[in-house]
Amino acid sequence: MTELTLAKAINLGLRRALESDDRVLLIGEDIGKLGGVFRVTDGLQADFGVRRVIDAPLAESAIIGTAVGLAFRGFRPVCEIQFDGFIYPGFDQIVAQVAKLHYRTSGNVRVPITIRVPFGGGIGAVEHHSESPEAYFTHTSGLRVVSCSNPQDAYAMVRQAIASDDPVLFFEPKRRYWATGEVDENAVAPPLGSAHIVREGSDVTLVAYGPLVTTARDAALAALDDGTSIEVIDLRSLSPVDFDTVEASVRKTGRLVVAHEAQHFGGVGAEVAASITERCFFHLEAPPVRVTGFDTPYPAAKLERHFLPDLDRILDAVDRVMGRTNSLSSLEVTA
Amino acid sequence: MLRSLDQLDDLTTAVTAPDALLQLLPPDGNRVAHPDLDPWVADIDGAALAALYDDLSVIRRLDTEATALQRQGELGLWPPLLGQEAAQVGSARALRRDDFVFTSYRENGVAYCRGVAIADLMPVWRGTALSGWNPYDVGMATPAVIIGAQTLHATGYALGCAIDGVDSVSVAYFGDGATSQGDVAEAMVYAASFHVPVIFFCQNNHWAISEPVGLQTKRPIADRAPAYGIPSLRVDGNDVLAVMAAMRIALDRARTGGGPTFIEAVTYRMGPHTTSDDPGRYVDPVERAEWAAKDPIDRLERHLDSLGLLTDALRESVAKSTDAAAAELRRACLALPEPAPLTVFDNVYAEPHSGLERQRREYSAYLSMFEGGAS
Amino acid sequence: MSVREFAMPDLGEGLTESELVSWEVAVGDTVELNQVIAEVETAKALVQLPSPWAGTVARLLVQPGVVVRVGSPIVAIEVSDAAGAPRTEPPARNAVLVGYGPPIEESSHPQRRARGALLERETPVAPVSVAPAPVEDAAAAPAESPRATDMPHGPQAERPMSTPPVRKLAADLGVRLELVSGTGERGMITRDDVLRAGAPAEASAVPPVLQNAAQTGPDETRVPISGVRRRTAEAMVASAFTAPQATVFLTVDVTPTVELLDTVRARARDGARPGILAVVAKALCIAVARTPEINARWDEAAGVIVQWRTVNLGIAAATERGLIVPNVPRANELSLDRLALALAELSATARAGTTTPTALRGGTITISNVGVFGVDAGTPILVPGEAAILALGAVARRPWEHNGEIALRSVLTLSLSFDHRVVDGQQAATFLADIGAILAAPGIVLTMV
Repeated sequence: MTELTLAKAINLGLRRALESDDRVLLIGEDIGKLGGVFRVTDGLQADFGVRRVIDAPLAESAIIGTAVGLAFRGFRPVCEIQFDGFIYPGFDQIVAQVAKLHYRTSGNVRVPITIRVPFGGGIGAVEHHSESPEAYFTHTSGLRVVSCSNPQDAYAMVRQAIASDDPVLFFEPKRRYWATGEVDENAVAPPLGSAHIVREGSDVTLVAYGPLVTTARDAALAALDDGTSIEVIDLRSLSPVDFDTVEASVRKTGRLVVAHEAQHFGGVGAEVAASITERCFFHLEAPPVRVTGFDTPYPAAKLERHFLPDLDRILDAVDRVMGRTNSLSSLEVTA
Repeated sequence: MLRSLDQLDDLTTAVTAPDALLQLLPPDGNRVAHPDLDPWVADIDGAALAALYDDLSVIRRLDTEATALQRQGELGLWPPLLGQEAAQVGSARALRRDDFVFTSYRENGVAYCRGVAIADLMPVWRGTALSGWNPYDVGMATPAVIIGAQTLHATGYALGCAIDGVDSVSVAYFGDGATSQGDVAEAMVYAASFHVPVIFFCQNNHWAISEPVGLQTKRPIADRAPAYGIPSLRVDGNDVLAVMAAMRIALDRARTGGGPTFIEAVTYRMGPHTTSDDPGRYVDPVERAEWAAKDPIDRLERHLDSLGLLTDALRESVAKSTDAAAAELRRACLALPEPAPLTVFDNVYAEPHSGLERQRREYSAYLSMFEGGAS
Repeated sequence: MSVREFAMPDLGEGLTESELVSWEVAVGDTVELNQVIAEVETAKALVQLPSPWAGTVARLLVQPGVVVRVGSPIVAIEVSDAAGAPRTEPPARNAVLVGYGPPIEESSHPQRRARGALLERETPVAPVSVAPAPVEDAAAAPAESPRATDMPHGPQAERPMSTPPVRKLAADLGVRLELVSGTGERGMITRDDVLRAGAPAEASAVPPVLQNAAQTGPDETRVPISGVRRRTAEAMVASAFTAPQATVFLTVDVTPTVELLDTVRARARDGARPGILAVVAKALCIAVARTPEINARWDEAAGVIVQWRTVNLGIAAATERGLIVPNVPRANELSLDRLALALAELSATARAGTTTPTALRGGTITISNVGVFGVDAGTPILVPGEAAILALGAVARRPWEHNGEIALRSVLTLSLSFDHRVVDGQQAATFLADIGAILAAPGIVLTMV
């Protein structure tokens, strides 16, 4: 058991993966000598060599496409896309090749590629460095999509992602890279596709993933002051989604709030809201509410605190599903 | 700035100036010497020539038969390789079993040479499956429909070979149109940077559907690779011997740690882009007639004849080969079973996916609702 | 041997028809597979058609020079070998660059596929259970594998099952779903379940007192406690034990108001007949504007005092079925005439027993006219959710001080009960004094609005 930052936990997970399977290799920009712009791959090239930790020329499509060729050859490539906003040049290789190859070849060719992507905002950055593009990939069949929220999960899930024979988009909450937590290498990891109940509650089910799990937990603590009991669920896996866990919770609470940084329309929250409404319609006390980024491009650094869901916006949504006065009360048509 | 079509046509002619091509077998069938190439095909004797003649004829016949099957509604479409037989056979017959090939959708000639069963050429075009064979059985990936994507895969595979320390080579087949794609440029960057055993084999057949090669490039395509640090060869793509020689040079370089090579095989797409295309709308019949005079099989026949090898026995033997191949193609096409409905859910993932399992169950329930059961 | 018909294929770019230019074969000719049998013309080119079968030409179905639609048969061939064994013909399609193309739609009426017997659910699913399952089940089940049934099982209780409209009805009627047993599918609570549990059927004209047979003992009558009475009782208990209530009284010489009423009625429009109640209601609305704290409620759950900007004026009404409090919405916006009309309407519907649930919702402050029963004053109990209730006594002729002497005057006592959490004594007194002042000298309104 050690206390590690989330970034160091991923580093440890990558190290263990490289140690345990010599077909694992890492490829990405600046991951070797520099150790990655967030130091997530720090020290790995020195220990495992340039053939296993490969500094790639500046071309995202090539990073992914080369990994496909390596997968054909039986390797387990772990690609790093330096920032969320740079994944788009590689989008075609991901959705047309990585996602489809197993299906296309009737299972003859396996694609055990892991694509690591620092994502999300809250770091006061310039354009293209604070995106949440996960919905493009959850919408693409053939891919698995996950996001860790804490160091223990970061360690365990990156190892599981690499070990999976399926391609995995591994979204790392970059503003939580410096958050610390206990990492126990010997802990039995829950299945990669499972959600986790972070704290139990009885009045509202609050679903979040990645960077907002911390915010959700904080919101639940603050809500105790007015006697509201919130059950917080860390989705962890965005494709597949562990709907069974969320369903059981909403059958108990009757109320659902989903929070994510990504834009509102067509986000993962929309899928969760629709699916849980289908499953729990007769248990719902109020319509599910999504707390999300706006349907705008990610804004300038000085505005991002308005864009990002925070504790207050989450609790405003909680008020709404609890039937209390909330920010939209004055806007609603009275029945 | 848009150029006029006239200027494009001029350019098209300019980039295919014949004297810029490596050649051993011109259209008249009389072998010419080339000191750099000759050693690489010194082993091609009469029997080998006859075998190549058989390959070219069978591939052309398969192509014709598949076109007929499409006309008869048995295939959704077929991308003919008419005219490109030598480029595909000459290159593919140079490969080893342990090499690996990543092609576009037009390389059915390469597939045949790699050992893909004739029957396995049908499923993709009939629409019963997205691939016809297991890539690992024959060392050839499923043909790529996304233009140029396969060049990166070939590069990655070659990187894997280099890491593994083996002397297998990976080959990317693509056309002139593909060279405009970013992925192809990126593949050459990576291939050169990592110095991997990959061959970029470009069949410049002069057309990307209706767009002439002059729209894709202002210089010979082969001129691009050296700018990335990759040596290139520009060869008469209708000359099976020159193609084979060039390929063998590139293979040798790759196998001995010399890194990547770019080969431009200059040929012509004598047929439509696919069977529903109408090239009459954009192809100059005069140009096409000029290329018909450079037919790859005709020149080999003349050459065999000049060696006294074009015997009745050879003709008969080739006729039998082609007839048998065509019959097998037709038989296999018509015999392909319709895929069972629930197989639409198969092989999306290697490991179970809860969301998909649920969908499959629900659709199964839906199908069982109908009279006649699931169909 | 079988005769097969070959249809005109699509020859490029989704053409829908081609002209048959010439036949290369005649009836009776033997044809080989792929032998050219005809030439057809597309928009630009002449295309040769290869025979799909080997056999004998049985019939040429089209004359040269005729334009044929794609999919129409052009030639019948007697097929000679087993490879031409009968097979279902695929429907003709317009091929495109990348595939078969869209199917050619039949022009007949769209129809559903024929369905067999729809399978019933194989195992009856248990109604919603609140019994906890063993904890091991929840922990052991891997999240990846699909559950065996559609019902989740877990150690915690579940919400009662119902639909949103029924939930709303239950909320409106004050029915708690946890206490209702559902008669719907899978234990669902239905609208009828809620109505049974809550108010009796509104359509019933029979007062509930008579619905339930009274059992009679020797010296007593036992009347079952019915829906409305129970509900009223619950409301009063809730009010009494939640809000600390105090009452202030004011007796007023309302002679000027009584004298004014004739004039007011003469000027009234739309058939309105304002009486003392309407005037008191108007005075109350004016007084609320001056002491807005009185028009509020204490929201414990949200931790706020909600102060309303409009007055939804409740009027306590005694009906055959019991006490109800319908309200006049936005009474503060109504003229005296309209207020009088609204009050008259309200009392008419209450007497008829046709008051709607909407009218019973949303009140903010109430007047209870106990004067109609002949009493002077009372200590009215707050309607739950409100902070004030004004009881209006009877107008009586009493000796009273007037211009320094004793005179017989029309006198009225006002009793104001208020929620002491929301309103303090001074506010209550000020509010009541304002109403009294208007009734004592209506012209004083000029200083108040």
